[in-house]
Amino acid sequence: MEPSWSLHLLSEVLSAFSTDDPDNLRDVLNRVAESVDAEVCAVTNAGHMECSIGLAEEERSRVLELAPSRPHTMGISGGTLCSCWAPLGGERQLLIGRIDVPFELEERSLLRAMARSIELSLRMLEAITAERQARRDASHQARHDPLTGLPNRVLVLETLNRWLQRRPGLMDKPIAVLFIDVDRFKWVNDAHGHAAGDALLVHVSRILQTAVRRDDLVGRLSGDEFIVITRSSSRDGARDLAQRIVKAVRKPLRLAGTELSHSASIGICFAGQTDTASTLIENADMAMYRAKAQGRGRYAVFEPMLREQARERLELEEALRHAVDQMQIETHLQPVVQIRTGQLVGFEALVRWNHPRRGLLSPQHFISAAEESDLIEEIDLAVFSAATAAVARWQRLPGWDHLRISSNVSARTLSSADLVKRLQSRLMSSGINAAQVYLEITETSLVDDIQATGDTIKGLQDLGLKLAIDDFGTGYSSLLYLKRFPVGLLKIDQSFVADLGRDPDDETIARAIVSLARALGVQAVAEGVETADQEKRLRKMGCECGQGYRYGRPLPIATVERQWFGAAIPVQTRS
Amino acid sequence: MADPLANQPTWVKVGSSTERDTLSALEEALRAMQPLHPPKLLVVFASPLHDFGRLAEHLQAAMPESTVIGCSSAGEIAGSGALRQGLVLWALGGSAITVCSGWGEADQQGLRGAAADAAACLNQIERRRHTVLLLLSDGLAGNQMDVVRGAYDIAHHDVPLVGGCAGDDLAMRRTRQLHGTRVLSNAVVAAAISSDHPLGVGVSHGWTPLSAPMLVTDSRGTRLERLDDQPALDVYCHFFDLDEAVRHDATAFATFAETHPIGIRRRDRIEMRHITGRDLENRTLLMVAEVPQGGLAFLTQGDVGSVLAAAATSTEEAINALGGREPVGLLLFDCVSRRSVFGEEGAQDETERISACSGGVPMAGFYTYGEIARTSGSGGFHNQTLVTLAIG
Repeated sequence: MEPSWSLHLLSEVLSAFSTDDPDNLRDVLNRVAESVDAEVCAVTNAGHMECSIGLAEEERSRVLELAPSRPHTMGISGGTLCSCWAPLGGERQLLIGRIDVPFELEERSLLRAMARSIELSLRMLEAITAERQARRDASHQARHDPLTGLPNRVLVLETLNRWLQRRPGLMDKPIAVLFIDVDRFKWVNDAHGHAAGDALLVHVSRILQTAVRRDDLVGRLSGDEFIVITRSSSRDGARDLAQRIVKAVRKPLRLAGTELSHSASIGICFAGQTDTASTLIENADMAMYRAKAQGRGRYAVFEPMLREQARERLELEEALRHAVDQMQIETHLQPVVQIRTGQLVGFEALVRWNHPRRGLLSPQHFISAAEESDLIEEIDLAVFSAATAAVARWQRLPGWDHLRISSNVSARTLSSADLVKRLQSRLMSSGINAAQVYLEITETSLVDDIQATGDTIKGLQDLGLKLAIDDFGTGYSSLLYLKRFPVGLLKIDQSFVADLGRDPDDETIARAIVSLARALGVQAVAEGVETADQEKRLRKMGCECGQGYRYGRPLPIATVERQWFGAAIPVQTRS
Repeated sequence: MADPLANQPTWVKVGSSTERDTLSALEEALRAMQPLHPPKLLVVFASPLHDFGRLAEHLQAAMPESTVIGCSSAGEIAGSGALRQGLVLWALGGSAITVCSGWGEADQQGLRGAAADAAACLNQIERRRHTVLLLLSDGLAGNQMDVVRGAYDIAHHDVPLVGGCAGDDLAMRRTRQLHGTRVLSNAVVAAAISSDHPLGVGVSHGWTPLSAPMLVTDSRGTRLERLDDQPALDVYCHFFDLDEAVRHDATAFATFAETHPIGIRRRDRIEMRHITGRDLENRTLLMVAEVPQGGLAFLTQGDVGSVLAAAATSTEEAINALGGREPVGLLLFDCVSRRSVFGEEGAQDETERISACSGGVPMAGFYTYGEIARTSGSGGFHNQTLVTLAIG
């Protein structure tokens, strides 16, 4: 025999609440409403609606107003809502409503009687939901970067692998991986603090999220490395995206009370038939290094030869690290003389790698590898220490107190936050007069990093150091910078000196630099002087100093000491 | 030649074709509707054998001012009777009518979210006195109760829902939904229809309980696990004393189940659920939509007479809801299983009965994998049922 409708109601409503799959309370309310043929089902709690079905926005407000009095009928659009209320503990109530069809007394009684069970079921649902949420949160945390909220390496790899597995159906849309690295991020962290660094990373993450399409994936791999995985209808689409990102990141950002000029370098790799997620990311990473090598703030596309180059670079970097540890890095000095008199005025310190198998290597064989790693700072400072120590020793010799030394500093070293402190300690230990010490920096690094290195240069000025602008004429120096910074020497690039007497343009440029130096009250030093004719022309145009094979090759400190100061130096002071 | 119906407040026209070539079929169906003033809404039901991309593109191009929705079917209904592998167009127009359409995909958000997206067109329509939401969903995309629930989230209690689940001529592989020139699967498309005149919905199935009521003791999603604490498949096979051959042959079982659905007790009616298959290992019945745990279920049977009679009941119910106004057209959603019960001859008999009840007004529809009709309560998913929408 069929049980009464009311008993059936009891069974189905309780079942709706005792589901072990509570995706959400709304589904439960649907089941309850469906089981009793109701249009409305809602849970109200202390003046707010936890969940409801069947009610429009304005009707929800009206129901909430009336909820405390639990009316049996309420007028709503479309008719009379016949209501049945069940207390669920505290101020929580379950409302079931049928339009124009009143609940029988038996239905209402049963619903009230099952209220306690519903309350317990609801609590159980909430507990399960909370547990699931906790599990979801844990899973989210394990797969997302807490700073930016972006997918982390784990999720990036999972997603990329999934995309690659689905690849056959998407042949017309190549998968592209963009590896994005924030240029000079270490300097931002060191110079402005980690909070500023974090703010920059969040800023970049927002730019990336805005630049990509909805179906693309943006992730943060680690530190200042981001990834974008995109599918576009053509390879040009990925290039356009990279260009847009480069442009957007380049816009100045106000951080830590200063306007930060920054950029990002991007490597792009397109997925081939056999590529894995890890390979793609590695390849994009290599292309990113190429973009950096080409001058930062740009993108480069992966080519197979980059893998070989990367391997060679890694090997070189490893060997160079070993060389630094094993003291294979040597300081050589090249004399700088006064052209008019031929008198020695000082030296330029130059680095050499005394390679155990390949012999003495000049900087072009290893300096770019050193600049891409953190080794350049160690190398620059080692050369500086050795050179200043030697020159300080010679300055104490009678008649040589005017000797000056200029030592090269790379852009990366110049951007190091503690450079001033480290130089100060070396100046003190050598005892050299800082006024006789010049730091040679290239014209391009001065201009590129003007924003970033302003504070450092000010610190150097406070130490009494001056700048020598290397390869002057090859970059685009602003005269304003030359006036603002403690520039003491302008070095005429040897490319202009080489063709003096043969190329009138070079002669004009060399003359202009000499005039400019004079106007600024600094000395001009011609590099690469090899012949008497070049010397004569430089003398004629008023260039004060020169260096080059005409005056002496770069030689180890000990050799220089023997050649120039051998007779004067007391035996006990020789190193 | 000017369309004589163009100035009517509401009008319906129907065209159909059994041509195999999609463009030829479309041309023939459109020709049958001439002269045709641009309708507000154009609904197309077509066999999955047709090229839906070309169909959508050419139909929208032919009627650029009209809202176009549609789906693939498991048979079509036209004024001339039941079709197989055909194409039918149903055009609704008139100054009293406004239409707005929407669509949603279930891939990321499930059917409930897809239906809610599609139903959001209700928020844009210029509302007249009477409104219904017409829904066409992918009948192979999961628990179809979620289509009604998602649409109800937007429509609430004051907008009736009506519609059907797209089919694929019982191949059970893939159905299509069409919105404008967009062809979708695993999706829901919708058209909100608002009118100054009444819109009536009728629902009837004609199936009757055979078994005593049984408590649904375990049901998960579309899997009916246990009835009265016994494996549902065992209860079903035992009650109908199924031959071993039928029990173990998937096709034979599905054919038998088509005419022996599960009934669910509701307050004033029995709601039907179609059985799509069985899981021999777990002894469960696979349903097209959920059978609520805790509810009362029946094993049912329909005979040709009662099922055919339901056609008239559904039509009369829809026309009665017009409040005395004569219908100008009908849109029909007829379960594909009903056709199996009464066969080809009965299918023609059914359309003739519907036509007779409605005074021969233009009508079209399709054989569905599930029917949607919600006029009261919040549920409204049906099987083995004829749902009728009458335009007043």
